[in-house]
Amino acid sequence: MACFLTGLRRIYLSIYNWTVFIGWFQVLFLALKTLKESGHEHVYNAVEKPLLLSQSAAALEILHGLIGLVRSPVSSTLPQVGSRLYLTWGILWSFPEIRTHILVSSLVISWSITEIIRYSFFGMKEAFGFAPSWHLWLRYSSFLVLYPTGISSEVGLIYLALPYIKGSEKYSVRMPNKWNFSVDYFYLAILALGFYVPGSPHLYRYMLAQRKRALSKSKKE
Amino acid sequence: MKVTLVSRSGREVIKGGLELHDSATVADLQEAIHKRTKKFYPSRQRLTLPVPPGSKERPVVLNCKKSLKDYCDGNQNNITVLFKDLGPQVSYRTLFFFEYLGPLILYPIFYYFPVYQFFGYKVERVIHPVQTYALYYWCFHYFKRIMETFFIHRFSHATSPLSNVFRNCAYYWTFGSYIAYYVNHPLYTPVSDLQMKIGFGFGLVCQLANSYCHIILKNLRSPDGSGGYQIPRGFLFNIVTCANYTTEIYQWLGFNIATQTVAGYVFLVVATSIMTNWALAKHRRLKKLFDGKEGRPKYPRRWVILPPFL
Repeated sequence: MACFLTGLRRIYLSIYNWTVFIGWFQVLFLALKTLKESGHEHVYNAVEKPLLLSQSAAALEILHGLIGLVRSPVSSTLPQVGSRLYLTWGILWSFPEIRTHILVSSLVISWSITEIIRYSFFGMKEAFGFAPSWHLWLRYSSFLVLYPTGISSEVGLIYLALPYIKGSEKYSVRMPNKWNFSVDYFYLAILALGFYVPGSPHLYRYMLAQRKRALSKSKKE
Repeated sequence: MKVTLVSRSGREVIKGGLELHDSATVADLQEAIHKRTKKFYPSRQRLTLPVPPGSKERPVVLNCKKSLKDYCDGNQNNITVLFKDLGPQVSYRTLFFFEYLGPLILYPIFYYFPVYQFFGYKVERVIHPVQTYALYYWCFHYFKRIMETFFIHRFSHATSPLSNVFRNCAYYWTFGSYIAYYVNHPLYTPVSDLQMKIGFGFGLVCQLANSYCHIILKNLRSPDGSGGYQIPRGFLFNIVTCANYTTEIYQWLGFNIATQTVAGYVFLVVATSIMTNWALAKHRRLKKLFDGKEGRPKYPRRWVILPPFL
C-alpha cells in the first residue's frame, strides 16, 4: 500500500513539475521572440496566457507543503508564491497601464529562466530519480543574478503602478459602512514595497546558505 | 563536589569545571557560574542533566532550590551539567508593563488628538457616546492588566528573553493602533444603543470574572516565587481549565459587540488562537502531571478553554 502511494506521489509530482515547466518555457520563448520582432511594449500581451496559468499553478505548491507531499516548509513557499501572485494578478493583470514598460520584459525573463531550471530540476528528480550535477549547479547559482534582476523588476513595477492604484480606487473599501472597515489598496502597495527592504536581503542570504549546503553536499558524494 | 559544565556541543563552558561544597544548591552553582562569567547572570542560565544519546526524553531542568546532591545518582562527588545560554533576559513585569503601556497611551491619542487630518480627513468630527465609553473600557482594561501584573500575578519563571519585548510590543501596539484608528474614526458608524449596552455590560462582567480568576490562580502558588503547578479549583475553574483565558476572550467579544469593527474582530480571532495554543499546552501539562498515580490526584475532566467547543 505504501509503495503504491509513493509511486502515485512520484507520478503526480512528475506530471506537475514537467507541465509547469512547459508553461514557463512558453513564457520565455514568447518573451524573447516578441522582444526581437515587436519590441518590449508587446511582451505582456504575448506571454499573458502561459504566464497567468504557470504562475497560478504555483498555488498548488502551498497545498503540497501543507499536506506533506513535499518537504519544503509552508513558511518559505507561502511568501514566495504570495509575492509572485501579487505581482501577476494584483499589479500586472489589474493595472494594464504598466504592461508596456520594459521592466515587464526583465521580470518575465528573470522569472521564467528561474522557473525553467527549478521545475525541470524537480521533474528530473521525481521522474528519473536523479539530476546531473550541472543542473544542480544551475539551480543553486542562477539566483545570484536572477534574484537581483527579478526583485528590481518587481519593486519597479509596483512603484510604477502606484499612481494608477491611487486613481482607480480598485480593491478598496471606504468608510462609512456598518462594519467600520476599510481597505486602501494604495497603502497596501506601499506596505508591500516596505517588505522588500528587509525581505530581499534575508531571502538572498537564505539562498546563499542553501547554495553552500547543496553544493558542498554534492561534492562529498 | 566537582561540577563539569558543558555546552550542548560538548565543549567545556568553564575550563576545569567548578568546585563547590558538598551541600551546595543549584542556586549556588548559578552564582558560581555568574562569578566566573560576568555575562551569564543566573536567569540567563539553563542548566539540565545530560540526556543519554538517542533518548527521546525531555532533559531534567535543575531546580534552583534543590541541592546538587539530589541530582547526582551514585557518583556522589561528581556531576556533569549541560549549560545553555538563554540570551539577555528581562523580568516578566518589565515585559508586560511595556507591552500594555502602548495600547494605554496610543488609543487615547486617536480619541483626543486631531490625527485623522494626516489621513486626509477634516478636523471637525462628531464624537458618539459609544466612542467615549469604548475609550474608558479600553483604558480600564489595560490599566487593570498593569495592576494585575504588579500586584496579583505570580510567575513560574522570573524572566523572559529580551527578544520577546520587541515581538510582544509589536503585537500589542500595532493591534492597539489598528483598532483605535477605526473606533475613533470621523466616519465611524455606531451600533444601536441596546447593542452597545449589552456589549459593554457583558464585557465588564467578564473583566471582573477575569480578575477573580487571576486571584484564584495567584493563590495556587506560594509567595516565595517558587512557581509550580496545582489543580485550579473553584469558580469557573471547576468546568474549564483556563477560565482566565475564557473570560478574557469573552471580554473582547463584549467590546466588539459594542464597537463593531472588523479590526476588533480580527484582533479577537488572533488573540483567541494564541490563547487556545497556550490553553492546550497547559491542559496537557496538568493532565500529565496529575495522572492519578503514586498518590497524586487525577486531573478531573474539564473543558480546555471554550465550552462547548474545546
